[in-house]
Amino acid sequence: MMDTSFAQRRRRDLIVAAILAALAAITPLFVKDVYVQNIMVLTLMWGALSQSWNILSGYCGQISLGHALYFGLGAYTTALLFTKFGVLPWFGMIGGGIISALIAMALGYPCFRLRGHYFVIATIVIAEIGLLLFHNWDWAGAALGIDIPVRGDSWLKFQFTRSKLPYFYFALALACVAWFVTWWLEDSKWGFWWRAVKDNPDAAESLGVVVFNSKMGAAAVSAFLVAVGGSFYAQFVSYIDPESVMGFQFSLLMALPAVLGGIGTLWGPMLGAVILIPLTELTRSFIGGSGRGVDLIVYGGLIVAISLARPQGLIGLFSPGRKETAR
Amino acid sequence: MTTPLLETRGVWQRFGGLIANSDVSISVDRGEIVGLIGPNGAGKSTMFNLIAGVYTPSQGSIIFDGEDITRLPAAERCQRGIGRTFQVVKSFETMTVIDNVIVGALIRNTVMRVARQKAREVLEFCGLGPRANVLASDLIPSEKRRLEVARALATEPKLLLLDECLTGLTPIEAQKGVELVRKVRDTGVTILMVEHVMEIVMPLVDRAIVLDLGKVLVEGKPTEVVRDPKVITAYLGDRHAVGA
Repeated sequence: MMDTSFAQRRRRDLIVAAILAALAAITPLFVKDVYVQNIMVLTLMWGALSQSWNILSGYCGQISLGHALYFGLGAYTTALLFTKFGVLPWFGMIGGGIISALIAMALGYPCFRLRGHYFVIATIVIAEIGLLLFHNWDWAGAALGIDIPVRGDSWLKFQFTRSKLPYFYFALALACVAWFVTWWLEDSKWGFWWRAVKDNPDAAESLGVVVFNSKMGAAAVSAFLVAVGGSFYAQFVSYIDPESVMGFQFSLLMALPAVLGGIGTLWGPMLGAVILIPLTELTRSFIGGSGRGVDLIVYGGLIVAISLARPQGLIGLFSPGRKETAR
Repeated sequence: MTTPLLETRGVWQRFGGLIANSDVSISVDRGEIVGLIGPNGAGKSTMFNLIAGVYTPSQGSIIFDGEDITRLPAAERCQRGIGRTFQVVKSFETMTVIDNVIVGALIRNTVMRVARQKAREVLEFCGLGPRANVLASDLIPSEKRRLEVARALATEPKLLLLDECLTGLTPIEAQKGVELVRKVRDTGVTILMVEHVMEIVMPLVDRAIVLDLGKVLVEGKPTEVVRDPKVITAYLGDRHAVGA
């Protein structure tokens, strides 16, 4: 009986996700405005990124404010391979993901010995080091960045100058993949281990969970997906420089949707992104003008409001029974 | 079986200048319930943590099931069949009761469906069946203690280490706890329990090992141990020593 309700909930999640994805897929039929399409692409991308961030920081509880590093690595790997060696972005995407996952594990080796705030500080510092390195790395364009040359619209080269739609569909696919990976991991050995590690590492260790390896696994998956997002972003904006793909604000932007929507939950990051990204984009263009920072004020206000009213995230408003069954 | 399930050989543990355990050699036979008792500061918890793998002894060795596990980390000891509970309960608070137990079950069954089934059986066994879908943070203290036991049992241990799991309960709860411990032993699990509430431990254990000042003071049947003048002195001081 218990089992069926659990299985039912999992199936319901999957069905809801499929319906939402299908609805999202047909929106371009009605929404022709390029500006709005642009916002949709960004929303899906940040949703996917936040979902990926959520794997390490939400489920496994290792709060990272340095994920911009993996985002930037993905973007740079793709852009460099394409401009210097003519390697197709698709390979750059996979390559960037693998490089990021490996670097995440190499960094995790010393950093996962740290706990709590000290871990967070380490992630910030390491991402800043990455930023500085790229700032000064001449071969990679240093502070000037890389202009990705336009070689004509094609899926093969993953470049589209005339329409945003292909990017939209890719971002949608990425969001679906990130969601599905999370969904799948949630009811797997790793998902359980991660939550155990987050709640109480000592108890987890006593139950046979190798805490260190669990964190490494979460870091690798998380970094891989974020790097794929970074590759996508490089292709989408077709110009990257260190600040625009590795700046600290990207680390925050990955964390905020998840925190807003519900950290460590399946739907939280996507929900947070759907609220936050259009809001920031709109405030930027309508209130913005010279006032660069109004969007950040909105962020700040929202975070304060949420942490006061619903520290567990907005997702709790939608399904109160989800985490608190049989209370 | 003549070889003991667990054996410590000349175990010392020093924390800086403090000697918590000195030259402790104890053994636990298969199927036994052994009580590790002693006054506060006797080194019970340190000894317990040495066996569970939280610390590595400064000197000496620990043999489990014929294998030297002295330097193995806690997770690997669990893999080999040592389950433990914590004195200060360490539930996974944001997870449901059954999810807590699944974490333990996953070490033997990596298929989720099987692990879930196993967890449900263990919960029923421990009398927590009706509470399976409640968040661990919503359990009352005695239920949390049961959850500790359930989680450890889900790892299918050969040896279960109970760290003061009956302390701080009401008499009725404690009695139910005692019944649970007996039931666990009847399934073939060997139990080593640290306790300082004598009236609970003594009727329950087959053998008691009394630690005092980090050393083994006396060891034997509970009825004999409680009458031993050395034990009375250790607990109550010289003035109360009877036949010494």
